Amino acid sequence: MRKHLLALGATLALSPCLMAQKIGVINSMSGPEAPIGENITNGIKLAEEDLKKKGVNLQLVWEDDTGKPQISMSAMEKLATRENVVGVVGPYTSACSNAVAKLAEKYHVPLLIPAAAKEEITRQGLAHVFRMNAPADKYASSLIDAATSLGKPRSIAFIYENTDFGTSTSKTAKDYVATKGIQVVADVSYPKGSADYRSTLAQIKSKNPDLVFMVSYVADAILLMRQSREVGLQPQAFLGAGAGFTTVEFAKERAISDNVISCTQWTDDVNWPGAKDFGARYKAKFGKEPTYHAACAYASMIIMAETAKASGGDRAKTRNALKAGKWNGIMGEVKFADYDGFTNQNNHHMLVQQIIAGKYETVLPAQFATKKAVYPFPKWK
Amino acid sequence: MAVFLQSLISGILIGGVYALIGIGLTLIFGVMRVINFAHGDILMVGMYLTYLIFTLLGIDPFVSVLITFPLMFLFGGFLQKVFINRVLDALAQNQILLTIGLGLIMSNTVMLIFTSDYKILTTSYSSATIKVGGGVSVSTPLLISFLITAAITAALYWFLLKTDTGQAIRATAQDRDAAQLMGINVKRMSIIAFGLGAALAGTAGALISPTYYIFPQVGSVFTLKAFVITVLGGMGSVVGATLGGVLIGITESMSAVYISSGWKDVVVFVLFLLVLLFKPSGLMGKSRT
Amino acid sequence: MNKRVLKGSVILLLLAGLLLIPRFVESPYALHMMILLFLSVAQGQSWNILGGYAGQHSVGHAAYFGVGAYMTMMLMHSKGIAPWVGVWAGMAAVVVVALIIGSICFRLRGPYFVLASIAVAEIMRLSAINLTTLTNGAEGILATELPAFKIGATVVTDFVTKVPFYYIGLFLVVLTLGVTYWVQHSKLGYYFQAIREDQDAAHSLGINIALYKNIGLVLSAVLTSLAGSFYGIYVGFVDPPTVLGLDVSVQIMLICIIGGMGTLWGPVLGSLILVPLSEALRSNLVTDLLVKSGAVSAESRLGLFLKENLSHAHVLLYGILVVLVILFMPDGLMGFVKKLAMRRKREAV
Repeated sequence: MRKHLLALGATLALSPCLMAQKIGVINSMSGPEAPIGENITNGIKLAEEDLKKKGVNLQLVWEDDTGKPQISMSAMEKLATRENVVGVVGPYTSACSNAVAKLAEKYHVPLLIPAAAKEEITRQGLAHVFRMNAPADKYASSLIDAATSLGKPRSIAFIYENTDFGTSTSKTAKDYVATKGIQVVADVSYPKGSADYRSTLAQIKSKNPDLVFMVSYVADAILLMRQSREVGLQPQAFLGAGAGFTTVEFAKERAISDNVISCTQWTDDVNWPGAKDFGARYKAKFGKEPTYHAACAYASMIIMAETAKASGGDRAKTRNALKAGKWNGIMGEVKFADYDGFTNQNNHHMLVQQIIAGKYETVLPAQFATKKAVYPFPKWK
Repeated sequence: MAVFLQSLISGILIGGVYALIGIGLTLIFGVMRVINFAHGDILMVGMYLTYLIFTLLGIDPFVSVLITFPLMFLFGGFLQKVFINRVLDALAQNQILLTIGLGLIMSNTVMLIFTSDYKILTTSYSSATIKVGGGVSVSTPLLISFLITAAITAALYWFLLKTDTGQAIRATAQDRDAAQLMGINVKRMSIIAFGLGAALAGTAGALISPTYYIFPQVGSVFTLKAFVITVLGGMGSVVGATLGGVLIGITESMSAVYISSGWKDVVVFVLFLLVLLFKPSGLMGKSRT
Repeated sequence: MNKRVLKGSVILLLLAGLLLIPRFVESPYALHMMILLFLSVAQGQSWNILGGYAGQHSVGHAAYFGVGAYMTMMLMHSKGIAPWVGVWAGMAAVVVVALIIGSICFRLRGPYFVLASIAVAEIMRLSAINLTTLTNGAEGILATELPAFKIGATVVTDFVTKVPFYYIGLFLVVLTLGVTYWVQHSKLGYYFQAIREDQDAAHSLGINIALYKNIGLVLSAVLTSLAGSFYGIYVGFVDPPTVLGLDVSVQIMLICIIGGMGTLWGPVLGSLILVPLSEALRSNLVTDLLVKSGAVSAESRLGLFLKENLSHAHVLLYGILVVLVILFMPDGLMGFVKKLAMRRKREAV
């Protein structure tokens, strides 16, 4: 009897190990994008743990693209041809994702992009490229729609970093406001890392815009807001369309971040299944709250791993299953569909949030809102 | 008009900090003819030091300059004695590469220790302003940095003019061999000069930390700017670097408004090339190729 | 056997070997590493002509690399012009750019020349970001579909695999090595070296300094732009920081400094060290090796720390390498090797 039990135990212990799914991860783990890349890394690590509990074992191959597209491409080559992964989750930046997408198609490797904004990526008819997050045009339309639903803005000023992300996001926003009859009174692209925006902000102030639309990462976001306060820039709303406006560090700077409206792919108080719990567990494990990148990465890895396992580790089957599948998790309902010129794009609901009393509160769309928005932007103290 | 005044004022104030960075570099180049590409990274080390002192000991960044200055001086002296000293007579581009290498080591070591996360120092007065009327406001922390920079520059100038060591440094900068023949320990002067240069860079980092943000790669932005300032002011001239810093601050600020934010750095570089071509000794420098 | 003949036959054997590699090696990753190596050698050799032989240490060579890359990519992307035609436009453009840069920078000496070369490259990078209608600005140009290369009606290659890129890369290496060899053994080379050693003395001997400096620059710039064009079509993506950034210029210089400036094989040696090292660090090969060889246990604190951080630390190791080479081997590896060889000769006598 004992011998049988032992044999059974041994088989049970061994069998999960035999079925480990080899999945590649391309991420910006060093370099300028590393702080946000870290969120993606952590989200994937948490997913790996949760998947193991469900009996899905992973063998992850991590590739650091240092934020550079050409290194991302090398990484993809390696994963596709040398490591023979079933699928790839990543990369992080728009530039890297765009570069890698073509390669994924060439090598027939299913690629699930968690958080890159540039619309073009899933507008190229690539059958193997899937995207979890809502693309840049949604950032723009969500924010502008929020503003027009809360008030009657007539003019808008744009200020954005002169990178791929900043330029492409503001471009879609500019196109959108043209359809809404809102006039563009200033259009400033700034080099990242400047210490002083005061003169530019003073110039924008002189044009009296109803809305100020910004695309920046954390550090510039904080500086821009601080210096906006200094020069007394007072629009009806500050619209923050960049990752910089959705982080905990930004919210902490209450004197300058309160009442800034931003949009995000995910918040921890939205009523999607498991979202709150994910937020709590992430904080417990990593000591800080997750950004939407972490949530996107988590969901992407869960979907990729489960699909890969169900497809027996076959690339073509996995791709087909990704296309056909439907999921409902911490990112809400996920389905990769073809619509409006997009291919394999998850038609994700963006959430509009506002920092009220130092906390991010979801204010739109109404069915997910937790608080009412503060509009117009209160006078600077 | 308000826009013009605002640009002018913020340009002058930020120029003050630039000046401090430039003065450090000009001292180093003046005395040792070394192109220090790690200057911005030394500034970065100063910033992190300030951050540590602020978060661990709760000392205000402006007050902590009293601690940062001597610590960075020792750091600079160490760098000079162990590394820079060996390439004093080497080819210019070897010196450049050495300092680039040192800069890479500094920024990446800091990255490994502190991660690439941006660190923000928030003091009670970080966003405070003084309204000057006419719709123009002056950033309080910037104003304080400017005043401290002015004080340090004055003190440095006094040191170089009135003290024996200061005059010895100037002698070494003027003519190294002659100074040595006159009995000046030029090796020691080099160590002191580099130490001073590093201390000034580190202090500039401390002064700018309440109004900027801290991350390991912040140095590269400032290194190039520092070179433009030193050349503009005249390599080896403290007054020149001061004027150069303020001038560059104003140029940047004005170009951002009247030309475009994207082109403002090009304006600075074009100005740089024009100075190099037509007045290479800079505003205040004496011809000393 | 004559030493020259021996050297020559070794080189021919090596070349034959390199030509045959794609026959036997199928792994695209291995070919990719070889292509990166070829690119690095081409870049290094091109810089070497101006920097190593003529002694003009430009830290702004990214300007030429970027012009070549952008011209080829812009023409292909917006006008559909095949890269083997676009490359000539790139070279023409770079000649003009080089002469303009030369007229600015060659008036300066030593550290001022270096600073000017950096400023010029930065101006080009910033212009590329701002002239969005021309260069697509910060978004860069993505163009991975290359037209098939036909001679008459036969398709020679449609660039689907890496093999054609391998041969183009190899061709660039042979070209740049050949030009360097020719420069080294011609009168031009002597003029360059005279300028390098003592510009004023050369001038007093009647050598037209401006003419030869510019010849060196144009030669160097054209070869660098070829490398840039090749990079563009191989990677399929260019943006201002990638091809015009300061770190590109520094990287190019590094290859020569570590290998040995002013020598024929210096850049080759430099590339052989830097390219595999950088990739090995980035992709965790080093940590894996250490663990496999038993030197470090994967579970120990050191092991975990290395695993987490070594790949991020590749830039740190670069920095340490640079410092060590400058301090202890300022003539690069070739210089070090030559010194050893000379010492042995002396001892043999």
